[in-house]
Amino acid sequence: MISIKNVSKWYGSFQVLAECSTEVAKGEVVVVCGPSGSGKSTLIKCVNALEPFQKGEVVVDGISVGDPKTDLPKLRSRVGMVFQHFELFPHMTVTQNLTLGQIKVLGRTEQEARDKGLKLLDRVGLLAHKDKYPGQLSGGQQQRVAIARALSMDPIAMLFDEPTSALDPEMINEVLDVMVQLAREGMTMMVVTHEMGFARKVAHRVIFMDAGRIVEDDSKEQFFGTPRSERAQLFLSKILHH
Amino acid sequence: MGFDFDVIERSLPYLFRDGMTFTVTLTLLAMTGGIIFGTLLAMMRLSALKPVSLLAGGYVNLMRSIPLVLVIFWFFFLVPYIGAWLLRESQPVKVGAWLSAVITFTMFEAAYYCEIMRAGIQSIPRGQVWSGYALGLNYWQTMAQIVLPQAFRNMLPVLLTQTIILFQDTSLVYVISATDFLGAAAKIANRDYRLVEMYSFVAVVYFIISYALSLLVKRLQDRIAIIQ
Repeated sequence: MISIKNVSKWYGSFQVLAECSTEVAKGEVVVVCGPSGSGKSTLIKCVNALEPFQKGEVVVDGISVGDPKTDLPKLRSRVGMVFQHFELFPHMTVTQNLTLGQIKVLGRTEQEARDKGLKLLDRVGLLAHKDKYPGQLSGGQQQRVAIARALSMDPIAMLFDEPTSALDPEMINEVLDVMVQLAREGMTMMVVTHEMGFARKVAHRVIFMDAGRIVEDDSKEQFFGTPRSERAQLFLSKILHH
Repeated sequence: MGFDFDVIERSLPYLFRDGMTFTVTLTLLAMTGGIIFGTLLAMMRLSALKPVSLLAGGYVNLMRSIPLVLVIFWFFFLVPYIGAWLLRESQPVKVGAWLSAVITFTMFEAAYYCEIMRAGIQSIPRGQVWSGYALGLNYWQTMAQIVLPQAFRNMLPVLLTQTIILFQDTSLVYVISATDFLGAAAKIANRDYRLVEMYSFVAVVYFIISYALSLLVKRLQDRIAIIQ
């Protein structure tokens, strides 16, 4: 479904990604973790070309992301993305947030888009807030709306870029619950997160990054059993023992 | 020599029906045109394509570096010849003070509106653009649906303040003998030799309108803010 081959990226002379390669199969849930500045967010943004890369290849459902001939808007519309800071559109109501892409990109009618949007809003438990503006919702609620918005486009895969990092602790679980449910329904997911509980529960594989490199790419059991690199062991010991 | 303030009352219909209508219409047209053109210039200035951003940057800096009065002058006298050259006619094309003023003010103010809109666009977090792109919107859709509406709302008070300046600046059209509010008053003042009365009255009217508008902008500021 998603294939990343030898991707390298530089900001000027600073290399942010170095020869990154991995695969995400259909229905697979892959968690990407690592210390900050290790390039995880940059890597996940390369998948839908929000970040350009200079070397290597990313292929999503058979389509090369880096190819200048690729219809990027069309490709992006098929890959849902959830951001650290939610990025709902603050000047639109929750319902408008949910219908904009469906109407403008997928060409659905206003009624179709609304029905679909409200169904998903109900699914994340926020139907009562359909006419509110994002600024009137809590962080956890905004992130659930953002997930519903991404799902409204009927994506073939979902990318999550630190979806719970900006949330107050008591709101993290309501977002993770939605993600766990999604994973159990067989959605293909690539998730940048430090939530190891989530990784243990639903991930198939865990990727560990450091200094722009993929240091570990293991099955979940392997990763939590015996991570091979010292760097990964140190990272795990730091975030797991509290 | 005494003052004669009756001259004001006698000339009110002329001052407002002819003069103020010209001033207000010119302000509104130049504001609308200037904001549209200025927004396009702002998008060009922020473009990743170097020639595009240089072209817009050069235009804006040129306009902001020469006095408005000169632009009005040059435009009024030059455009008939440029028009003739473009249309391959032997005689200068008649443009007239009105059309010339509308075009000049639109183009001049666009440079200032551009800088306001540029700041507005840059104030929108990059994540908003990413979020639009991630949904599959293209550049124009992302601009039209997400970035510009927010930038415009954030910048509305500054845009309106610039418009108040534009409203005052339109009085400079007297150099091409157009009958705006000031022009109308000047004509009466010279005809009846009542300069002090007429120019005082004009100043008071400009002050009242501009000050009232600025109070309005202040009140608007609190009401339109986007809940963040």
